[in-house]
Amino acid sequence: MNELIQELKLEIINVLNLEDVTPADINDDAPLFGDGLGLDSIDALELIVLMEKNYGIKLADPAQGREIFKSIRIMAEYIQSNRTK
Amino acid sequence: MELYINQYSYISPKHTHPTVTTAGEGLTPLYRAIGIDYPKFFKMDNLAKLGFLAAELLLQQNKRNLNTRKDIATICFNRSSSLDTDRLYQTTINPENNYPSPSLFVYTLPNILTAEIAIRNKFTGETSTYITPSLNPETIVRTVRQTLNNTNGNTAITGWTEYADDTHEAFMMLINKQHNSNTTTPFTPEQVNKLIIHLRKQTNNK
Repeated sequence: MNELIQELKLEIINVLNLEDVTPADINDDAPLFGDGLGLDSIDALELIVLMEKNYGIKLADPAQGREIFKSIRIMAEYIQSNRTK
Repeated sequence: MELYINQYSYISPKHTHPTVTTAGEGLTPLYRAIGIDYPKFFKMDNLAKLGFLAAELLLQQNKRNLNTRKDIATICFNRSSSLDTDRLYQTTINPENNYPSPSLFVYTLPNILTAEIAIRNKFTGETSTYITPSLNPETIVRTVRQTLNNTNGNTAITGWTEYADDTHEAFMMLINKQHNSNTTTPFTPEQVNKLIIHLRKQTNNK
C-alpha cells in the first residue's frame, strides 16, 4: 500500500503540474480538495482520466470521485481493490 | 476621447528581464525572477503563461492605483490563436491512446488567456482575444477605443501575445483616459507602431 501511495503522489504531482509540491508535502490522510492541495474541478476530471489510464478503473458516475478522492490513502485503497491493470 | 499609453511591457526570447531570458528554458525562469507566488501559473498553457507574465510585468508598478478600479478591460491579439495547445490536446485523442486531457482542453480557446489575467487581478471589465494576421496597431487602437466607449470604461490592458512553434512575443500596454505624471504618449496607431519597432529593434541588437 505504501508503495502505491508514493506512486500516486508522484503521478498526481506530474499530471496536475503541482510544480512546487513534493511527495513529502502531501499528507496521506489530508483532503485533496478544498484546504488540502487546493485542487479544482478540472483537476478532479484529470484524476478520473488518471484512474482509467493507469489502473483501468472507469468511474461511471463522476460523483463517485467525491468519495474516492477524499485523500491519497482512500484513493490508493480504492485502486488496490478495483484495478484491472 | 483621448487615450494614453501609461506603461508597457515586452517579452521575447531575447528581451525580457535584466537577469533571465525566456529562450530555451521557457517561461518558468521569468516567473521565478519576478518573484510571484501563484501556483495556478504552472497549470496554464504557454499562451496563458506568456500573457500572464506580460501583465505582471506591466502591472507591477501600477498595482496600488489599479486596486481601486476593477472595471478594467483586458484585450489581447495574436496570430496563432491557441494552436500550440490545440496540437498538444490532439495527441491525447488519438485512437491508440485515447485519454483526452481535461486540463489541456480548457486551454483550447485563446480567450482563456485574458480570463487568467482578469482572474489574477480581479478585473471585472471586458475580456476578449482577437486573431489577426499580424500585429496591427490600427486594429488594436480601434478595438480598444470601441470597447472603452461601449462599456464606459477608463482603463484597458491590451497588446500582442503570440506563442507558436517554440517562439513567442508579448507586447502589453496599459491604456488610460488620463496620462500619468511620467508619460504623455498618446494611444494612437503611430505611437504603438513606433513603440513596437523600437522594442523589436532593441531585441535584435542584443
